[in-house]
Amino acid sequence: MSRLRSALSRTVAHPAFHLALVLALLLGCRWLSAGTVQILTFALIAIIFSQSINLLTGLAGQISLGHAGFFGIGAYCSGILAKTHGVDVALSVPLAALLAAAAGWLLSFPAGRVRDVYLAMMTLGFGMIFYEIVREWNDVTGGTMGFPGVPSAALHTLSILGVRIDAAAYFQVVLLVAALVLVLVRNLTQSRIGRAFFAIHVSEVAAGSIGIPAGATKQLAYTLSGALAGLAGGLYAHLVGYLGPESFALPRSIEVLVIAIVGGLGSIAGQVLSATVFTFLPERLQVFSEYQFIAYGVILTFSLVVLPRGIAGLLLDPPRFIKPRALRRAVALRPDPAVLRPEAAGGGDGSLEVASVTMRFGGLVALDDVSLRIEPGRITALVGPNGSGKSTLVNVVSGLYRPSAGRITFEGRDITGLPDHRIAAARVVRTFQDPRLVPHFTVRENLLLGAHRLLRHTGAAAALALPSALEEEAQQLAAIEAVLALTNLTAVADRTISTLPYGTRRMAEVGRALLARPRAILLDEPAAGLSEAEMERLAQVIRDMKAMGLAILLIDHHMDFLADLVDDVVVLDSGRVIYRGGIAEMRRDPAVIAAYLGDEAATASEHAHA
Amino acid sequence: MDDFFFSLVLAGISVGSVYALIAIGLNLTFWTTRTLNFGQGSLMMLCAMLVVFLASQGLAMALAVIGGLLVVAALGVFVERFTIRPALVASGGSMGWVVSTLGFGIVLQGVAAKYFGSQAMAFPDVLFTTQDYVTVLGQHLSLQYLVVLALSVSLILLLELFVRKTVWGQAVFAISLDPELALVQGMPVRLIILGSFVASSLLAGVAGILSAQIGGTVDPAFGFDLVLFGFVAAVLGGMGSSFGALVGGLAVGLISKLVGGYISTAAEHAIAFALLMAMLALRPQGLLGRPEVSKA
Amino acid sequence: MLEVQDLHVGYGAVQALQGVTLGAAAGGITAVLGANGAGKSSLLRAISGIAPVTQGRILLDGRDITALPAPARARLGLAHAMEGRRLFRQLTVEDNLKLAWSFGARNVPLAEAIVEVRQRFPILGQRARTPAGLLSGGQQQMLILSCATIRSPRYLLLDEPSLGLAPIIVQQIYAFITDYARRSGTTVLIAEQMATLALKVSDRGYVLRRGRVVLEGRSEELLAGGSEDKLAANYL
Repeated sequence: MSRLRSALSRTVAHPAFHLALVLALLLGCRWLSAGTVQILTFALIAIIFSQSINLLTGLAGQISLGHAGFFGIGAYCSGILAKTHGVDVALSVPLAALLAAAAGWLLSFPAGRVRDVYLAMMTLGFGMIFYEIVREWNDVTGGTMGFPGVPSAALHTLSILGVRIDAAAYFQVVLLVAALVLVLVRNLTQSRIGRAFFAIHVSEVAAGSIGIPAGATKQLAYTLSGALAGLAGGLYAHLVGYLGPESFALPRSIEVLVIAIVGGLGSIAGQVLSATVFTFLPERLQVFSEYQFIAYGVILTFSLVVLPRGIAGLLLDPPRFIKPRALRRAVALRPDPAVLRPEAAGGGDGSLEVASVTMRFGGLVALDDVSLRIEPGRITALVGPNGSGKSTLVNVVSGLYRPSAGRITFEGRDITGLPDHRIAAARVVRTFQDPRLVPHFTVRENLLLGAHRLLRHTGAAAALALPSALEEEAQQLAAIEAVLALTNLTAVADRTISTLPYGTRRMAEVGRALLARPRAILLDEPAAGLSEAEMERLAQVIRDMKAMGLAILLIDHHMDFLADLVDDVVVLDSGRVIYRGGIAEMRRDPAVIAAYLGDEAATASEHAHA
Repeated sequence: MDDFFFSLVLAGISVGSVYALIAIGLNLTFWTTRTLNFGQGSLMMLCAMLVVFLASQGLAMALAVIGGLLVVAALGVFVERFTIRPALVASGGSMGWVVSTLGFGIVLQGVAAKYFGSQAMAFPDVLFTTQDYVTVLGQHLSLQYLVVLALSVSLILLLELFVRKTVWGQAVFAISLDPELALVQGMPVRLIILGSFVASSLLAGVAGILSAQIGGTVDPAFGFDLVLFGFVAAVLGGMGSSFGALVGGLAVGLISKLVGGYISTAAEHAIAFALLMAMLALRPQGLLGRPEVSKA
Repeated sequence: MLEVQDLHVGYGAVQALQGVTLGAAAGGITAVLGANGAGKSSLLRAISGIAPVTQGRILLDGRDITALPAPARARLGLAHAMEGRRLFRQLTVEDNLKLAWSFGARNVPLAEAIVEVRQRFPILGQRARTPAGLLSGGQQQMLILSCATIRSPRYLLLDEPSLGLAPIIVQQIYAFITDYARRSGTTVLIAEQMATLALKVSDRGYVLRRGRVVLEGRSEELLAGGSEDKLAANYL
């Protein structure tokens, strides 16, 4: 079965297959009946529309129950521009897509601030508002009476750039547009942008820690999604020639959601198939069209539980998120460990300085006047009993909390209170107590996420797969080889993270942090849950990082792990620093013993060692 | 006082109290499972339609109402067992149960359309008739509106009393605060969750009947609009707060009726959704709710 | 007698307990010690039914409860005061006590139980109508202990009762625990980071490290001179 899936996946992904399919349709459409050509055109439009959901919901994880709104914006805009203002269709459709993109961008502001169910409600509201506006704005949209007379292929009233376009020719135009869209979406999915979408889907906080800004990324997702939906809407308008508000109500949003979910969120091929099936079914199967709404309901009710990856999950191998050409190019480049060494520091001596930081949550003082300093080429441990404030300190330094008082400077620059992705951009990177990797990415793909900030090519370059973009990715892929070697992950580089044991995931997270080229790194309990051997491996990696000249702060409880590793240690208790110095002396310090074992132990120990 | 204004206010308060009832129903499942039934509107619609159907078959009105409520209560069990619980277990965030419950609502709507037709059905007078009114301070107050208002507020107060004064009610509240602690202290959390879905569905059924009574007709799509207003009410007042649901519901009812009366009826919906989006963007916990801290 | 045999507890990819065997004698106090992350809380959570057990058994007086859901265990007389000072903060002291009493196995009428609590911790009587979230740390811990003991449980699990409390309050708390254990014959299992504290009041101790028992014995022996360093070594 899996051999069949691989073969199928390879075929479906092969450019020759795409070319053959497109050519066959282009040339063969003249021999098909008018009805079939029309259904096929609808299917193509559904394909484009479903990709808008794919980007927003499948990749970026933002649910949308009102996408008919964007579709409708595109349809009405192009229709109105073409009919009422006589704009050529070749211009009106792109303009409509642009307007829908702007709507997406605007929606991203309120929508980007809420999650889950609130987002679902908000998008539902958006769809409904659009519907109401269309119904009411009689002068412009024709209201409930509808908007007839849009230049349309079906009614033989369509001409593009002066050329009369009949139904078959329109199909050819839409086919080319759809093919282009699919290529661009696939390129985007396999680029730093697509990977960033997944990153914020899985964990906005983890994404921020490697420099991916959640807010801006979501804005991009909404804008692109709006553009695609609007494009589909515009093309739809010039197919049917008549626009009525009922076409852009909730059922439309539901339909595209069903297509995307059944096809498999995140899979382009799956959704192509699903869009085609769901366009043909109501036309060809009378019984289906009668029960269409109910069928959609049933599908939605059970699909995400029964078949979470959709058709694509059944028939195809999981999609991959690095361009094959970049991978091939990377093989030619030789991995150079030196590429990981951070460049000469900016201002100051490259140290990270925490100065008198206090953190209050309401009445609770989590950190009380804490000062410490980590220096390049040194490993400093941060220890303390449960609830002493260690993680809070890391959260403050890495930008998740703004301290109530105090300053944090790095390389002479004040980084207090900067948002997390800007701190990562300043080369201060952190890891988390539980590794938040993208579960269906491979190790390599997760590591490449770490290099997100370093990939400077634009979205357009990524979508068009320009050679400069490929070259950049190849270089980072070569750097990944170095990290894989360092962390002993080369053997599992192309295995999916969710199949790998905890210790491996931990290593992958450290590797990802390394790829962000930090000059200071904060490791939050990296040894938790690791076996002895894994801890040894981790210690070696940390020593390598020290040799590279990073300033390292290491939080952990495993004293034996820390003993041979760290240069000095800072002990926190109840938010205050109670000890600073060497680790051997720390074990005998009465204040530390009291904090961990209790006062009597401290006294006893004093007597014992007196 | 201006007659028109006054009638709008009364209408607004009356429908608002129904929105509050819907919001409370949504709150119930939110308390126990942090989920909402996106198909709540369909339950409302189905109950109202069943009442019409049963009454047309000759059943006494009271029995028809009971019949309708029993059916939606059973559907509530189905929702918890087959759409919410599997989705929560499969995890993947909230998308699972949102889509699942939405799908279920669509199925109900489709079935109702198939079986009862898509046309609006006249809803019989359960309580008084549209002609009955009392005169207060020279204004005519429709008895139906008043009864709806009274019923809704009573139910809300009863629920509040239940939650504050009875042990089982306190258990429901406790589960909303810390479900693990509730488990460990021996509360039958599973059972209570099921109960919350049944209660939520019953409230939806009652809200459906009351709305149909005021509006006069019921059609398959009627629940959807209502539940959206209920959402807005719940969000406005603060997800999870009973008093908030009341305040939110009345606010939404009043504002939408006033806007509808003075600007246009279509703007009724638009203003509600605009309120929703504004509240979600500016103060997601609503006027009276507690801020939900969620670390991504 | 509370027994745990070869218990494995795992959360997805992480194994929190990897084969822990221990026993808490009836009517005595047993201490479970270890650094943070050693598995103490996972052990207690597994016993009360809210942590996923992948292997092994849990026995209460010989009865295998491994498959029993948490509320059922509470009805068998198991009480668990969880780590992190867990209370229903929006409910009053009185309501917290009432809830704790209502759903477990009950031996004493509510009114009587409340009187006992007030005698024990008069401050709780004074603050009966205060929302639990507004109490001080020490008062909250008193309330938690009262909630856990209000049903006269047969098995009592306490997770870090001393956490974040001033020494004098800790003394009070521990005085209550020892007194209660002695009077009621309850089987008590205490998880603590403050090793010496727990060892002083308990009969037997187990030290966990990375999900395994690495040291066990009579508490006096574990406390005895020389063992300190071994103990310290396991923490520091």
